[in-house]
Amino acid sequence: MIPYLEKMSTFLNKLLLGVAGITMIGMVLLTCANIFLRCVWVPIKGVYELMGFFGAIVTAFALGYTQAKRGHVGIDIVVNQFSAKAQRILNGITYCICMVFFALAGWQTVKWGTTIWQTGEVTETLRIIFYPFIYGVALGCFILCLVFLVDLLKVLIGEKVPNK
Amino acid sequence: MNLVLVGIIGIFVLLLVLFFLGMPVGFAMAVVGFWGFCYAVSLKAALNMVATDLWFTFSKYGLTVIPLFVLMGYLAFNSGIAERLYNAAYTWVGHWPGGLAIATIGADELFAAICGSNTATAATMGAVALPQMEKYHYDPKLSSGTVATGGTLGTVMPPSVVIIVIGLQTEQSIVKLFLGGILPAILMGILFVLTILVLCRLRPNFGPVGPKTSFNEKIKSLSGVIEAIAIFFLVIGGLFFGLFTPTEAGAVGVFCTFIVSVATHGLTWKAFMSSVVETLKISCMVFVLVAGAIIFGRFLAVTRIPFLVADFATSLPVPPYVILVFVLLIYLIGGCVMDALGFLVLTIPIFFPLGMALGFDPVWYGIILTMVTTLGAITPPVGVNLYVVKALAPEIDIGTIFKSVSFFVVASIISIIILIIFPQIVLVIPGMVR
Repeated sequence: MIPYLEKMSTFLNKLLLGVAGITMIGMVLLTCANIFLRCVWVPIKGVYELMGFFGAIVTAFALGYTQAKRGHVGIDIVVNQFSAKAQRILNGITYCICMVFFALAGWQTVKWGTTIWQTGEVTETLRIIFYPFIYGVALGCFILCLVFLVDLLKVLIGEKVPNK
Repeated sequence: MNLVLVGIIGIFVLLLVLFFLGMPVGFAMAVVGFWGFCYAVSLKAALNMVATDLWFTFSKYGLTVIPLFVLMGYLAFNSGIAERLYNAAYTWVGHWPGGLAIATIGADELFAAICGSNTATAATMGAVALPQMEKYHYDPKLSSGTVATGGTLGTVMPPSVVIIVIGLQTEQSIVKLFLGGILPAILMGILFVLTILVLCRLRPNFGPVGPKTSFNEKIKSLSGVIEAIAIFFLVIGGLFFGLFTPTEAGAVGVFCTFIVSVATHGLTWKAFMSSVVETLKISCMVFVLVAGAIIFGRFLAVTRIPFLVADFATSLPVPPYVILVFVLLIYLIGGCVMDALGFLVLTIPIFFPLGMALGFDPVWYGIILTMVTTLGAITPPVGVNLYVVKALAPEIDIGTIFKSVSFFVVASIISIIILIIFPQIVLVIPGMVR
């Protein structure tokens, strides 16, 4: 079951990272196009809103990959002093707390996005719906949970997990 | 339980326990902030706060500047611009005692002007400069410290990720903070060069003299510098004259760096993809730190600890500068035990209101905090630049790198003291902007 979950996690993280990368390049092009059109004609409407939403997708979709590659900064000078077994236990506690926290955060974000959807809220300038982007942030949280779950399961069966 | 006591438990017990468990700093701040808010207000309010803070942080227009400037730095990192900068600097000063080390600092200064990351600057210049310095028999006691410390210029010279984070967290103008960083970065560079000259005067074997170059060669080498200077002036000039927002400046910087990299055949498809992936990782890490700090800051605001600390400090019968020295010492020690940016975002909710209550200029205070934060990147045991040098030159003993850096730490501290005595150095350029 763990290899299957790990493969799924890796696939989903790479997929989301690809979407995040394309979105980021889109942000560059959109901003440059806006500057150019502002100089020669009129600015693109709603760039401010779109850039914020794209930024949310870029960050949320990179959450899982960054954790899988141990890209988040932490303090490891203390934990490195412990035995391998103690480190496994401490890592397990960390993964468990983070998994629960991001599951709650993701679930709450879905609830909030649903409220935005049901109330029909739209953006101020473009008058477009934006709840899909909120769901995107929730998806990023859930994929991050999956990364923590895989690491936690590996700790529980005694498999080596890359430390920070 | 008294809310102040809850806050103290949150900071000094829970947060430290989670840090020492090895939990990433951003996650730990978010978890403790959530717990504290839940305790002080309610579970429902805490859940709502986490969801909305995550969304509003990730979707904040102002924060979109981070991936853009990081991408600009990584494109420069992967495209060979650094090598041309280094060659130009070496052609001009390579025949001086310690000339290669001075060239490294000069190239660092120029590269920092298009790259906002301290580690990227150290890694880029290290990859170019360390083999050269080894070839010319430079002592690792000079070369390793030069590369590690030169990287810190990337944090002070705009564009800088640390400055952006300070600006966003404290709601100060990023443009003014960027402009405020220019002269301090130049001052730091001058002091690093003086340190190299003094070391080479005392120990000539540290940096043997290199071959002389003709005037023609010197002029020819400048072609490698022009593109970097042009990008810097376009980006920072656009900000200075109000042509761009910081996010737009970042996008223009990415676009221009990409064009230059492609035009000079410096950027392969693989290097481009690597730049995108690394940018996503670094940006995500910074966003998580900022989101964690915001959630943690909500909890601190409920406990009123930042205001109480500010009130207490201002009531002390000592001059504000004594308190400033105390704050800087905390940053120095904090930077020794944890990631400098992590420590900065953690402490800003407490120490920025304190600085304002003491009457310091926000731009000047932001730059001073940036400079002391950069020291965290070169102070053992967790100074990230030290390990960048170790990774690039595994044959150099880590103890030698620590010792080498210590000479430059003195120079950095002197530059901070100069800026405290002469705050105008920071404020003169931002003062020209309305």
